[in-house]
Amino acid sequence: MANLKLVAGVLIVLVVVGAAIMIVMRGGEGETAQSPETPRQVVLLGSGATFIHPQLDKWAKEFTAIYPSIRIEYNPTGSGTGQTQFMQKVVDFAGSDPPLPASRWAEARGRPEGVIQMPVILGSVVIAYNIPGLEGRLKLDGETIALIYKGEIEYWDDPRIKALNPDLKLPNQKIVAVHRSDSSGTTHIFTLFLHKAAPHVWPKELVEKAIEWPVDKTGRGLGGKGNQGVVELVRRTSYSIGYVEYAYAVLTGLPWALVRNVEGVFIDATPETIMAAAENAYPLLPPSLEDDFNKAWEAIVYAPGKNSYPITSFSFLIFYKVYSPDKVDAIKKFIEWVNTEGQKPKNIVEGYVPIPESIRQYNLRALQLIKSSG
Amino acid sequence: MRPKGSRHDFIVFYSLAAPTSIVVLILLLMLATQLGLSLPVFGVQGLSTLTTTIWRPSYTPPPDGAWYGLLPAIWGTMTSAVIAVFLATILSLSLVVVIEEVASRRFREVFSTIVDLMAGMPTVIFGVWGLAFLGPTLEKWIMDPLHSHLSFIPLFSCEPLSGATVFTAGILLSVMIVPFMVAIIQESYRAIPMTLKEAAWSLGMTRYEYVKLNINMIKPAIASALLLGFGRASSETAAVTLVVGNSFNIGYCIFQPAYTISSLIANQFTEAQDFPYMMNALFAGGLTLLVIGIIVNSIGIIYLRRVRF
Repeated sequence: MANLKLVAGVLIVLVVVGAAIMIVMRGGEGETAQSPETPRQVVLLGSGATFIHPQLDKWAKEFTAIYPSIRIEYNPTGSGTGQTQFMQKVVDFAGSDPPLPASRWAEARGRPEGVIQMPVILGSVVIAYNIPGLEGRLKLDGETIALIYKGEIEYWDDPRIKALNPDLKLPNQKIVAVHRSDSSGTTHIFTLFLHKAAPHVWPKELVEKAIEWPVDKTGRGLGGKGNQGVVELVRRTSYSIGYVEYAYAVLTGLPWALVRNVEGVFIDATPETIMAAAENAYPLLPPSLEDDFNKAWEAIVYAPGKNSYPITSFSFLIFYKVYSPDKVDAIKKFIEWVNTEGQKPKNIVEGYVPIPESIRQYNLRALQLIKSSG
Repeated sequence: MRPKGSRHDFIVFYSLAAPTSIVVLILLLMLATQLGLSLPVFGVQGLSTLTTTIWRPSYTPPPDGAWYGLLPAIWGTMTSAVIAVFLATILSLSLVVVIEEVASRRFREVFSTIVDLMAGMPTVIFGVWGLAFLGPTLEKWIMDPLHSHLSFIPLFSCEPLSGATVFTAGILLSVMIVPFMVAIIQESYRAIPMTLKEAAWSLGMTRYEYVKLNINMIKPAIASALLLGFGRASSETAAVTLVVGNSFNIGYCIFQPAYTISSLIANQFTEAQDFPYMMNALFAGGLTLLVIGIIVNSIGIIYLRRVRF
C-alpha cells in the first residue's frame, strides 16, 4: 500500500514538474527581446566579428560624443553569428570579416529590407616566428609557408627556406607550426593566401575558417585558441611559427616575416603596405554596394602592386537598405561619420589600418541608397 | 516495516519527492539531449564517427565534404586522464601518509590548508601556469632527458617539440585532482578505528607494516578517489585547452600535442552551427565522455562491491 502511494506521488510530481518546464520553455519562446528605449535616444544595435570590436567601440564612443542622441551598441559574437542575426533581422547592422556568402547575400538582396555591405577597416595577417638566436629578418613566400603547414618542410634549414634567406644562419631544428584551434576569419584569410600563392601545394579544399591541418598528423602542429592563444604558444615554443592578426601582433613584440607579394617583393606588414593592397584592390570592388562582395574580398588577398602586403583583408559592416523612420537618420549619420572622421588617425585604434580615400568615397554612396520605411 | 506516520510526516517526506525528481529528471534530460543531438551525425557517418581520425570542417555535409572523426580526441582524453590518475594516486597516497603519520602538527596544518586552497582555485589559473611555466619546464627537464635516454620505450619515442603535449596535460591534471583525492583518502584514513591502530602497534608492527595495513583497510576509499579523479581529469576543459596542443594527432608517444573531447568542444562550439553536422559531432563527443564516465564508474562500483562484501 505504502509503496503504491509513493509511486503515485512520485508520478504526480514528475508530471507536474514536466508540465511546468514545458510551460516555462514555451513562454520563453514566445517572448521577443525588446530593449526598452527612451524616446529621445536612438540605439543602434550591432553584432558580429570580434576583430572589429575594439575599433567599433572607439568609433561608438567618439560618435556618441558628437551625437549624444545616438548610441551604438556592438556585441562581439563572431562573424558567423553576426550574419545569422542580420538575416534574422534582430540587429540594426552586423560586423563580419568575410562578406555574406553568395547564397545568403542573394537571399538578403531579394528581401524588401535589402542589403548593403561596405569594407570599413583593413586587417592583415602576419607570420610570427620564434627562432632563438636568429639575427636578421626572416623572408618567406606563400609556397614555403604552405609546405611548412603541410608538414613537408620539416627543418628551419631546409634548402627551400635557405634559398629565400641566403644571408641568415638558420638552425637545424624542427619547425613547430602553430594554427588557430577555433573557427576564425584569420584562418580563412591565411588559407586563402596560401591557396592563391601556391595553388599546387595548398588546394581549394583547405581554404576555410576552420580546416583539417595536414601538419597536425606529423606531431609538429599546435592549435591555440584565439590570437592570444597562438601568440602564447609561439612565444613559449622555440623554433615555432604562427599566423596572427596584425592588430594583435604589433602589441606582442614577436618578430614577423617579410612575405613575398605577387610582384616578387618581400614586404613588411605596415599600415602603408596594407593600405596599398586595399588601394590596388579598389578597382576590383563591385559597381554597387548592394552587390556580392566575395570576389572583392578574395581579390585583396595577394593583391597586385609592388607595395602591397599580400595577406591583407577587408572587414565589413553590413546594413539594411531600409530602416524605420526613427533609425534611418542615425544610421546614415553613423555611416557618414565612420567613412570621414572615423578614418582619421586619432579615431583609429593602434594596430588597425584605415581604408584608403577611394574606398571611403565608394562607401559614402550608401547614403543615397538607404531609405526610410515610413 | 516503516512506522505508521502522522499527516505531518506524510506532507514533509512526500514534498521531498519534488526536488529529488527534478535532479533525476535533469540528468535524464541531459542524457536524452546529448543522445538526440548526436544521432544525426551517427546517421550520416555511422559508428566511424568514433573510430576515424579525420576532423575536416566543411560547408559540404559529410561524407562527401566534411568528416568528423572523434578518435584522436577520445584517445587524448583517455591518455591524459590515465597519466593524471596514475600520478595523482601516487602523490595523494604519499601526501596522506606524510600528513597523518610523519608530519608534525604544525606542518600538517599548513599542508592541509594549502591542499584545500588548491581545490578551490579556478581551473584556468592552473592552465595559465601550465602554459607559462609547467610546459616549458617539463619540456626542458623531464621530456627532453626521457626522450634522449629512454627513446626505445614507445611512450617516449618522439622528440618533444614544445611544452604543449598530452604529457603536460596529464601532469597538470594530476596536480589539479590531487586535492580531491587527498580529501577522500584522508577522511577515510582518519576514520580507521583507534582500536585497530592500537592493535597493530601492540603486535609490534614496524611503521612501514603499520602504514601498509592502514592503506589496505581504506582500499575502497582509494578506489572512489580514483573514480572521482578520473571523472574530473577526463572532463576538465579550461586548463587542458591551454596546454594540450589542440592538434588532431594520434599515436602511442605521449610527448606529442593532442586533443581532448572537452577542449574540442570548447574550441569549436561557438561557430559549430555554421558547418552542417559539426554541432552534432561535438554532442557525440559529449555523449562519448558521458559513456566513458558511466563505464569507469560501473567498474568502480563492481570493484567496491567485491571489496566490501
